[in-house]
Amino acid sequence: MNASTGLLLVALPVLLLSWLIVYPIIAAVIGTIFVRQPDGATAFSLASYRFFFSDAYSLTNLWLTLWTTVVCGLLLLVTGLPIALYLRFSQGRLPAYVQGLAIFPMFVPSIILSYALIRTIGPNGTVDILLNAVGLPKLPSPYLTPWGPVIGLVWDNLPLTVLMLTAGLGNIAKSSIEAARDVGASPLRVFVSIIMPRMGNSLLVTASFAVLGIFSSFTLPYVLGPASPEMMGPFMQRTFSDLNDPLNALTQAVITFGFCLFFGIFYVRSIAKNREAGR
Amino acid sequence: MSLGAARIDWTGILFAALLTLFIALPLIVVGTWAFTEVWRYPSVIPQQFGLRFWSQTLSRSDVWESLFLSLRLTATVTLLSAVICLPAAYAFARLTFPGKNILFLSFLASHAFPKFGLLVAIAGIFLQLGLISTFWGVVLIQLVGTLMLMIWIPVAAFQNVDRRMEEAAQDAGATPLRVFWSITLPQAAPTIVAALLLTFVGTFYETEGAWLIGAPEIRTMPVLMITFINNQIVVQYGAVLSVMLWVPSFIALMFARRVVGTGAFARGFGA
Repeated sequence: MNASTGLLLVALPVLLLSWLIVYPIIAAVIGTIFVRQPDGATAFSLASYRFFFSDAYSLTNLWLTLWTTVVCGLLLLVTGLPIALYLRFSQGRLPAYVQGLAIFPMFVPSIILSYALIRTIGPNGTVDILLNAVGLPKLPSPYLTPWGPVIGLVWDNLPLTVLMLTAGLGNIAKSSIEAARDVGASPLRVFVSIIMPRMGNSLLVTASFAVLGIFSSFTLPYVLGPASPEMMGPFMQRTFSDLNDPLNALTQAVITFGFCLFFGIFYVRSIAKNREAGR
Repeated sequence: MSLGAARIDWTGILFAALLTLFIALPLIVVGTWAFTEVWRYPSVIPQQFGLRFWSQTLSRSDVWESLFLSLRLTATVTLLSAVICLPAAYAFARLTFPGKNILFLSFLASHAFPKFGLLVAIAGIFLQLGLISTFWGVVLIQLVGTLMLMIWIPVAAFQNVDRRMEEAAQDAGATPLRVFWSITLPQAAPTIVAALLLTFVGTFYETEGAWLIGAPEIRTMPVLMITFINNQIVVQYGAVLSVMLWVPSFIALMFARRVVGTGAFARGFGA
């Protein structure tokens, strides 16, 4: 009785998941390979993929997306890791303030952030005003260039990066670090020999999560980025809604799935492993 | 650290200063713009403060239409999500049934796909069903986004309920339903309320699904703000809306965070 009640209770969300996640993914893959012809029949055709990979504009957009993802990933790593290390090994009011600030973007919706960043980094925005006030020349504004989305995406993804890395560092015993220090290891040595080897997994999970979020981001690139070339998110939206071309939009979506496949698999595998370990 | 509290924490001061600049500056800027009437370059401080743009923003009919539409959508999605997910969360936490682990993991696995690509794939289905640019189309696409959160936070809540109290009530002759109402639910309630709040706020600001599925008929608050940005309408409109909507959502989120705990967020994403 217990088993059937359980299945009955989870049936509704599972059906919803199958209908609105699993089925669309399969339908997108199949629908872009077996394409409906004008006469109503379906035929095997890779034409939309051939078009994507031979169209200069599509390839530029893909390239911009990869560039943005890599740059954001690296920036998140070089900002998030030092903050996480600092938070792990100190306590008091100042670290609490630092943590509060690092987590704060989690409470700011990206649409509000977009609005705020236009006035801050846009032309004649606050950054320009402040530079001017201290007598420095204006910087070229990153607004409507590929750097605009980079700034927004790093801002937006910093909290989860810091939280996930801090959680990963939490698994490293303080005693093992103190032991290494007692025998005279330098901080760099401690980092390379003790911390890094044990961080491998959580670094990859953090990176996977960030990549999945950044690769197909929409709002920030749409608002802060250049109109052309554009990242895959705005590109898919425009192809689907403005150009009324679902076939090519779905092809672009399947291509994004393909590029994120490795990170997706890694992400799921590590969640599964963590749950095994947690039990 | 072991070297004594007297040492000045330069690393901390550096992080605090840089983060204050990076994180707080854009928010201060948008907050200032909301209360500004005239602010011309290159003055550091606005030439004239005032509330004129509050009354101008609040007298726009498109703002009120979007606000009510957003609230109606968000309430519908949150309610449906609770009705669909909470029983499932109870089952995942307390019952044993075949395929339990793989089903639970499949909810987390929905995060393993690039989100906007997934939305486009769903939009492809909705196009055939005629759900594009309809209220229920947007409800469905936003509902999918709430599933994971609405299941895994309540699962943790149900798992943390004190089993001995339930057993004691059962021994005293209470029916299973009675035990659930009087013991299990009250203990799990704060966390469930927090999950509801997170879902509500998250759905209110959900932009991408609403933009892709809802356009052009369904204009939610975030979609309206994007149009304000695109059409380069008066800066203050967006700033006023940001401040007006963000303050209540911030209070709700702070409450939710206190209940759920920051570390739990990170764990839920697989850290």
